[in-house]
Amino acid sequence: MDITPETVAEAVNKVASVRGKGTLPNMMAFGRALKHLGVKVSLSQLLDASRSADLVDIAARGDFRTLLRANLISQKEDFPVFDMLFDCFWREQSYERVPMETMDIQGTPTESNAPEGGDEEGGVEEAASEAIANENLPLENLDEFAVPTYSAQELMNRKDFSEMGTEESRAIARAILLIATKIATQISRRKKIGRKGPVIDPRATMRRSMKYGGEVIEMAHRKRRIKKTKVVLLCDVSGSMDCYSRFLILFMYGLQNELWGVETFVFSTSLSRITHLIRTKNIVDALDKISGTILGWSGGTNIGRSLHTFNRNFAPSMVTHRTVVVIISDGWDRGDVSLLEKEMQDIKRRAKKIIWLNPLLASENYEPLCKGMQAALPYLDMFLSVHNVNSLVALGRTLEKMVA
Amino acid sequence: MDPKQLTIDQVQEILLKEKYVCDRSLATVVYLSLVMGKPLLLEGEAGVGKTEIAKVLSKVLGARLIRLQCYEGLDASTSLYEWNYPKQMLHIKLEEIERGDKKKVETEIFTQDYLVKRPLLEAIQSEDATPPVLLIDEIDRADMEFEAFLLEVLSDFQITIPELGTVAAKQRPYVFLTSNRTREIHDALKRRCLYHWIEYPTFDKEYEIITTKFPEVETKMAQQICAFMQKVREMNFYKRPGVAETLDWASALIALNRKQLDDKSVIETMGCVFKYREDLSHLREQVENRQFSLDALLRTSPELVS
Repeated sequence: MDITPETVAEAVNKVASVRGKGTLPNMMAFGRALKHLGVKVSLSQLLDASRSADLVDIAARGDFRTLLRANLISQKEDFPVFDMLFDCFWREQSYERVPMETMDIQGTPTESNAPEGGDEEGGVEEAASEAIANENLPLENLDEFAVPTYSAQELMNRKDFSEMGTEESRAIARAILLIATKIATQISRRKKIGRKGPVIDPRATMRRSMKYGGEVIEMAHRKRRIKKTKVVLLCDVSGSMDCYSRFLILFMYGLQNELWGVETFVFSTSLSRITHLIRTKNIVDALDKISGTILGWSGGTNIGRSLHTFNRNFAPSMVTHRTVVVIISDGWDRGDVSLLEKEMQDIKRRAKKIIWLNPLLASENYEPLCKGMQAALPYLDMFLSVHNVNSLVALGRTLEKMVA
Repeated sequence: MDPKQLTIDQVQEILLKEKYVCDRSLATVVYLSLVMGKPLLLEGEAGVGKTEIAKVLSKVLGARLIRLQCYEGLDASTSLYEWNYPKQMLHIKLEEIERGDKKKVETEIFTQDYLVKRPLLEAIQSEDATPPVLLIDEIDRADMEFEAFLLEVLSDFQITIPELGTVAAKQRPYVFLTSNRTREIHDALKRRCLYHWIEYPTFDKEYEIITTKFPEVETKMAQQICAFMQKVREMNFYKRPGVAETLDWASALIALNRKQLDDKSVIETMGCVFKYREDLSHLREQVENRQFSLDALLRTSPELVS
């Protein structure tokens, strides 16, 4: 979901009713508003935040902001949302009023809490359990929040994934599951015990010596298992890929949920990371989230620029010598070909393998003539077709060989 | 010094004394982490001073620094504890000769004396006057499974050893975790930590860092270095240089007795800033094609003009 001042204001309005006097209700309301905006916040984090509120001078707005942020947010990407919400939320009921109330409780806990007959700790727990009780009611209603924003350059389109044929998607889901579990079960990162290896395993050695009456005769060693390959998926969802996009979403979803270490991106004229959006066991939810979020679905294509964004913001930390980068695109590019070439070169340098999946490759008279595809070809380790379930199985075998 | 009595300003001050320049928000989270006794997870690009802050903090607090460098394959026996198998075996052999009591031997070999403490257990069992600073460095390099070991340690500050029972911390260590984000840390672990992202420094902060570390540096050159670094971080390089690179470069320029930047000294010393051949040649290309001009940069940089 795109975060705009409007959605933020809406989220603040939604929780207006649960706001009250004192730090904790306000904190709970704040946490709830964050959840509305798609930021994960746990109850323990909220409790810690409200408990620690008296550690800083609340009148110093900057410090208070840092305090809340350090407690509630745990990834950099959520900072902008947090900042917008913070400004909106704590301004809402005129900034002066809120801290005054907060100070009440913090400054003189005995006074303000005495009538309730509990110490501060108890008050917190009580309100918390109340919050837990209410937790599941309005929070999960995220659908109403998918407010699309209009952008002049990029065509924003919401895809209705629900039209997907059930038979078709089941077949694909099965194929993907098969592929993915094969890969997932073959390897492990843990050490295993063997006869040879660089490290002696004392525990296993003792165990083996039992059969010789405690004399150490056989040494057990530890060696590393084959390392697991990480996969980064970059999927083209521009207009020319339209008829494949549903199918591809399923593929990305399936692979990511079966394997550890899969990162998923979609691109058209710009690039978005959707790993976190499809990290759910419920495919319908995932589809909803994606169709509500992605900017430029079915729009034009600028592969070079998208790859550039990827290389600049994500590749340094995500792509290593053990990462297989899978690009799914037909290669119809309207951007700068030399940029595309340079970015491909960059990925090539970082990654273990680059696989390009092209749905058009299946048609008999296809030749990679379009400029984008030609520029990318020299950097590819593999150029495969992806248009039906069989081609997916073939891809699965390829990936399997790569990680074994 | 009792860290719990500090204020945010004091945290900033004592860190500065050890030549660590930190902004208000970083000082605030460090302060919170000290006072709340909650671990602090620091993320940021390479070379922005994530590890450094734990080192400096242990110095100013007069606490021991216990560092656990994470790597792939790190497991419980190298991070928590391990039984001293050779010693146990020797003990058994000795008892065998003396026809010792079997029951007694069994209890004897599973005591603290036969335990090899690894960093996490060490941090928890520390009996120093000041609690130690525990630095878990580059947690993203360790396996996912390793994070599970950390959960018990970081939320309850205790370690369960099946043969001995649960070892609880006598005093909570100050815990700092750093990550370069080569992968996401699990939510369960993140929930137990305060979180802070360290940005590349602004012009002013970077200037302060240089002048703090190298008081002898010429004002003009320090400013020029900062303007240069700000600019190259915006450009398209394979690896954007961090503060560590800035400091390397500044010290190189000082050693060479340069009073201000010029094209020649930049090209000569660029190895301090860029560590990839492609980046070096990219910069050289840009300079040759006049797409990147040091003169223009120094003339137009808003910080230098004002």
